[in-house]
Amino acid sequence: MTSLNEQLPPASSAAGAAGVAANEAVAPRARRRYSADLSALGEPALWGFGGALALGIIMIALFLMVVLYNGATTFWPKPIDRVELTDGTVIAGVERRGTIFRPDLPRLTEDQRAVVEENDGFAYRTLYQTANFDLYGDDFRWVADFELANVTQPADFYYFERQVWGVFVGRIAGMQLNGVAMDYDPAVFRREQAAARDRFRQIRKLERNDIGRINNLIERERLNQRRAVLQQGEEAAAPIIAQSQARIAELQEEFQILQARVNEIRALDRGFRVTLEEVGGRQIEPEMSQIVRFFPANTLSWGQKLGIYISRWGEFVSAEPREANTQGGVLPAIFGTVAMTLLMVIFVAPFGVITALYLREYAKQGRITSIVRISVNNLAGVPSIVYGVFGLGFFAYTMGGTIDQLFYPENLPNPTFGKGGILWASLTLALLTVPVVIVATEEALSAVPRSMREGSLACGASKWQTIRYVVLPKALPGIMTGMILAMARGAGEVAPLMLVGVVKLAPALPIDGFYPFIHLDRSFMHLGFHIFDVGFQSRNSEAGKPMVFVTTLLLLTLIVIMNATAIIVRNRLKRKYATGQF
Amino acid sequence: MSDSQALSQTQERAVSARKRRMTTRASVKIGERVAGGVITVGGLMVIVAVLGIMVFLFRVVAPLMAGGEMHGSVRHQLATSAPVVWVNGDEFQTLSTVLSTDGTALTYHLPMGTEISRTVLDFEGATVTAISGTLERDRVALGFDDGTVRFATLGFEASATAQARMPTGLTPLDARDQRLDARVFTRVGTGDFRTLSAVSELRTAETISDAPIIALDYRIGGTPERPVIAFTTVDATGQVRVSRSRVQINMMTGDETVTTTTTDLPPIGLQGDEQVTGILLSGNADRVLISSDAGYIYRYDLRNLDAPSMAERRRVADDGVAVTAMTFLTAEDALVVGTERGDVMVYFRLQTGTSDTTDGRELVRARTHAPMPASVTDIAEAQRSKEFVVTDAAGNVWVYHSTSDQVLMRMSRSGALGAETQAMIFPRGNGVLLVSEAGEVEAWQYTQAHPEVTLKVLFSQIWYEGYNQPEFIWQSTAGTDLAEPKYSLVPLIFGTFKAAFYAMIFAVPIALMAAIYTSEFVDKRVRGTVKPMMEMMESLPTVVLGFIAALVLAPLVEEWIGAVLLGFFALPMGLMIGAFVWQTLPAQVALRYDGFPKFTLMGVSILVTAWVASQLGASLERVLFYGDFKQWTTGRIGTGTPFMFLILLPLSYFVVAWSFRKQFGHHYRDLISGMDRSRAGMVDAGRWMALLLVAMLVSFLTAYMLTLIGYDPRGSFIDSYQQRNALVVGFIMAFAVIPNIYTLAEDALNSVPGHLRAASLACGATPWQTARWVVLPTAASGVFSAVMMGMGRAVGETMIVVMAAGNTPIMEWNIFSGLRTLSANIAIELPEAVKDGTNYRVLFLAALTLFIMTFIINTGAELIRQRFRKRAFNL
Repeated sequence: MTSLNEQLPPASSAAGAAGVAANEAVAPRARRRYSADLSALGEPALWGFGGALALGIIMIALFLMVVLYNGATTFWPKPIDRVELTDGTVIAGVERRGTIFRPDLPRLTEDQRAVVEENDGFAYRTLYQTANFDLYGDDFRWVADFELANVTQPADFYYFERQVWGVFVGRIAGMQLNGVAMDYDPAVFRREQAAARDRFRQIRKLERNDIGRINNLIERERLNQRRAVLQQGEEAAAPIIAQSQARIAELQEEFQILQARVNEIRALDRGFRVTLEEVGGRQIEPEMSQIVRFFPANTLSWGQKLGIYISRWGEFVSAEPREANTQGGVLPAIFGTVAMTLLMVIFVAPFGVITALYLREYAKQGRITSIVRISVNNLAGVPSIVYGVFGLGFFAYTMGGTIDQLFYPENLPNPTFGKGGILWASLTLALLTVPVVIVATEEALSAVPRSMREGSLACGASKWQTIRYVVLPKALPGIMTGMILAMARGAGEVAPLMLVGVVKLAPALPIDGFYPFIHLDRSFMHLGFHIFDVGFQSRNSEAGKPMVFVTTLLLLTLIVIMNATAIIVRNRLKRKYATGQF
Repeated sequence: MSDSQALSQTQERAVSARKRRMTTRASVKIGERVAGGVITVGGLMVIVAVLGIMVFLFRVVAPLMAGGEMHGSVRHQLATSAPVVWVNGDEFQTLSTVLSTDGTALTYHLPMGTEISRTVLDFEGATVTAISGTLERDRVALGFDDGTVRFATLGFEASATAQARMPTGLTPLDARDQRLDARVFTRVGTGDFRTLSAVSELRTAETISDAPIIALDYRIGGTPERPVIAFTTVDATGQVRVSRSRVQINMMTGDETVTTTTTDLPPIGLQGDEQVTGILLSGNADRVLISSDAGYIYRYDLRNLDAPSMAERRRVADDGVAVTAMTFLTAEDALVVGTERGDVMVYFRLQTGTSDTTDGRELVRARTHAPMPASVTDIAEAQRSKEFVVTDAAGNVWVYHSTSDQVLMRMSRSGALGAETQAMIFPRGNGVLLVSEAGEVEAWQYTQAHPEVTLKVLFSQIWYEGYNQPEFIWQSTAGTDLAEPKYSLVPLIFGTFKAAFYAMIFAVPIALMAAIYTSEFVDKRVRGTVKPMMEMMESLPTVVLGFIAALVLAPLVEEWIGAVLLGFFALPMGLMIGAFVWQTLPAQVALRYDGFPKFTLMGVSILVTAWVASQLGASLERVLFYGDFKQWTTGRIGTGTPFMFLILLPLSYFVVAWSFRKQFGHHYRDLISGMDRSRAGMVDAGRWMALLLVAMLVSFLTAYMLTLIGYDPRGSFIDSYQQRNALVVGFIMAFAVIPNIYTLAEDALNSVPGHLRAASLACGATPWQTARWVVLPTAASGVFSAVMMGMGRAVGETMIVVMAAGNTPIMEWNIFSGLRTLSANIAIELPEAVKDGTNYRVLFLAALTLFIMTFIINTGAELIRQRFRKRAFNL
């Protein structure tokens, strides 16, 4: 009370004890001026609080803007600069970014030092993507402003995206059609390059689908043999083995035929080449099929740029990664993320809903529910990496190891389920996201008005019938919200996945055309891990950076959409069941 | 259940009046029962899950602390004709070879003692006077009484034989092994057989001295194709020599050419009747160590073989106590010394800086292990770990682990004592083999899964090889197998708290203040948009935050460090300027624009100050930090005054403001209450600026005084700048934690009953007074629990730290250096850890530590929250 009084406008300068203050407060009312008591308004504190909120919002906005800007502009084609340096070197490349830096003065020439010193020891430098990794051994080059002599944008410079070795920047010096050298003709080149790409895709299809199928069958035959030996003993399995060997021989014949076809196409393909020349005059002669995309970066019209932009986005969401994941697409990662998340929801839904039902409908509020709540809270608060550790040790090694021994002994010592895989990853994440579903479901259950339950019970329905036919349907949107939130959380989680089955490059998707079609034991790629891997573990994180931004944008968009949906559904639900409140 | 039963009974009665029987269908009853059971069990599963995780982690960790297990021992008397001087056993504990002084190499089946083969090496009549072998024990150098040295191979050859190609005519040796002539076949897991046989060969003699060799040591370095053989000898005259043989193998003919160069070392300088008891040579032949019976070790420095020198004479045991055995541990950084009195000690050769030796290094006693009961007779090191076996005169055979300072196994001989013995640890570190001169063999088999880990290793300082003092170090793997793994969790726990601490410094004020503002001072509409936005932020993937932190923010902060530092002070200052300007507005204007426009203005003032800070950053660096902050942090330029001035500024402001209020509060209030609002606002702004100036002065003076008394923050919480540092991590981690704390705190504030607020406002309190004196105290426990939960999240955060913290497991509070947390460490190392290996289990222990830490924090927070809820509900 005393403290409260102190903050109230002082009654008079003589205000001493609290009681006196209360008495005196009445008398001199007429000459009191409330407006000037600034400490009661607490304006500086308010500004501090409001500032904190504003700061939070500004931070989010800035963060989203950084991701959005970088992600959205990455695929926009940029011009190629031909840069002459003061020491006579000429480079060509795409301007990436620039920073202020402090040059190492003793290593500069007199003139340069004068320029830098004039600027307080600072200078500005630009990062050029010079590309041509196969020729230069590096993708990037910093150019400081004091060593810059001349910058032009020549029209004949092309930007090539290649299947291997990354980007090439340079001119087209000539081409080879079916082994015959000829001059460069844009129309012919464009046509032939498209044809070469078709050949490339054809080879890939043969290798991936047909040869892949044969390999898969041979591997299965081999496992069948081992299983027969393990189950029936060496002698008894002999006829099965003989049969299986014959089948393998057949398959291998088929394989030879396919391989011959592939080799044939390859041989043809080697005749179609293009001669590229970098800015310094060195030439390379890649096959046309190696050129994924090319364009004259400095002469593009606005429409052409837009075309390239869209085509790059198309490739990004529909193709496989190239160049150690720093280029190409992220389709396997998208697929892996979605498959893992959906699988997770299948596991998490029943568990979460049952627990929430228990807490809301069945348990007596008391010590047990209190412990359950503490457990839920702990599940939500345990660091995600601990789940990863648990998932690896318990799911993969203990459960998976047992499954391997019981059902896949023929493949041992190679683990089938006894290592990280999509099944274990989704189970781990299910454990991680269960609290989200519990909390959301509880909220939804409590939002169902009591009157509905009572009505149902009064009609003679049993408790479970009431829950099944009245409460759950009404709470369904809320439960769905929980699922969506859990998916958003699961899709963004990376740390535990690093331990239980995510890989930087998965050779095969968890679902494909080979028996048994759904391979829950397989490792998979994940958008979040893709960000980590490309940004931090690739040979050149600078080269991967644009890709990381785009992947980030994609992942964020996915998650924001999921969250926004959940929040909208929840708000609508709240409004629907909102009862009169003070 | 009882409800529905009662219900059906009522129905029954009501219906019977009309003579219609209606019962509840069995399916409904069963369904009811099943649903009730499933849901109850399912609900309790959550508890099971939490406990299950903890129990599972415990179970994986437990073997770390388990002791070794003894499997058994065997004893045989071999039929040897002369004293045995050397013994070697194979990796699988199947075969063993002993060498006698007469040159007989006898190979026998270890479990049964059956003789397998016998080779006689021709010593041309000379008598063996000294023997030594390489670490693997399969290459042996023998010194003879005629001054010659011979080299022998006493090894084993292992190969695999497929089941189908097994020869016939095998004789079984025991349940596991069969033999055919000199070969022993053992069935392995895949059904195939492992074939083992002994290889015993002798090479030509080299004459080193005229006098008998009394001690020698032998090492093989170089590559397998071009080995460099080095050996050192002491002859009866006390002359020490070092010889190096280069073996060149002719590719065409397969002939070997051996060129040996021998260097005489300077005299040892033994004093009185001091006797040499042992000699050791390092693998690259740059050190020779000689032990004496007076308790000294003499060390030669041979880095320059043309000018060998005696580097030091170091007393390692008490005066007159003989050094009876010594050996290097693997990697040759540690020297184990055993004495007559049973002491077992480990010496490192360290560059202490105070040593008076010729090469600036000296032998320092780093570890004193548990002493043997009697005089040490032999020490043999393990090949792949930091273990060694010590035998004493009383027949005790103890296996030590040096790093973890424990005696792993205590065995004692059951045979006759007295004779000289030779001991070895089997290559896999799972057994000890001992042979006496008389040909009595004794072998023990045991398993010791994780000898390198004890509680002491995990949680206290250990003096590791190559370090100058005991330290906390985490370095589980290194380039070579020979390195000593260092498993201290302390630097990781430290890193965890450091990251969490810096994150909380940013997160708590922002989150709490924002929560209070949202809950108390904005209208519903604003709250309806702001809160979902913050919740959205909660689900931002941390991998994205980490990526932005490491690749965008870290370089940016490095480039703009001056502006960033300035920003920490400028932002509050900017807001305060805004507040004081706002106070000068007339009451009507202030009221009219009170809601959203005021909030917008706050945002604008932040942006403006941020811009100003970015403009002034370089100037700040110039004025306070001599133009280069990063240079300044290294401590090479300037003093600590400027930084302390900045750090002390907020503190001194609070002190100054508080004293002002204590001293002049009444007078000031009286003065102000007489004015109208805008005039009072101006006066108040003037007061604030005056106080700020005084605070700056006070702060500067304090900082100056601190510098005068010699305090410099650099070296403690400020030190050399790294790009990926705790500042960046803390800032971005705050990003992850703020929404957490914010939502929970906002919920807590919101659940303060509305009638309390209404009552306070009705009494004439302003919203600020209501918030400060009514809402906050009521919600305090809930808010505190929110902070705790945020702390829990910060402690366990992984991806941000992995990506942005540099991952160096160092222990310093420096805000500009990196760190490695428990979680990041798990994420980095567990994918590569071998299942059930030591590192695997230690990483599980790290996870368990993390689990327990967050368990305590979260359970505490939840308990507080439950109590708060109950109280808020009762209000």
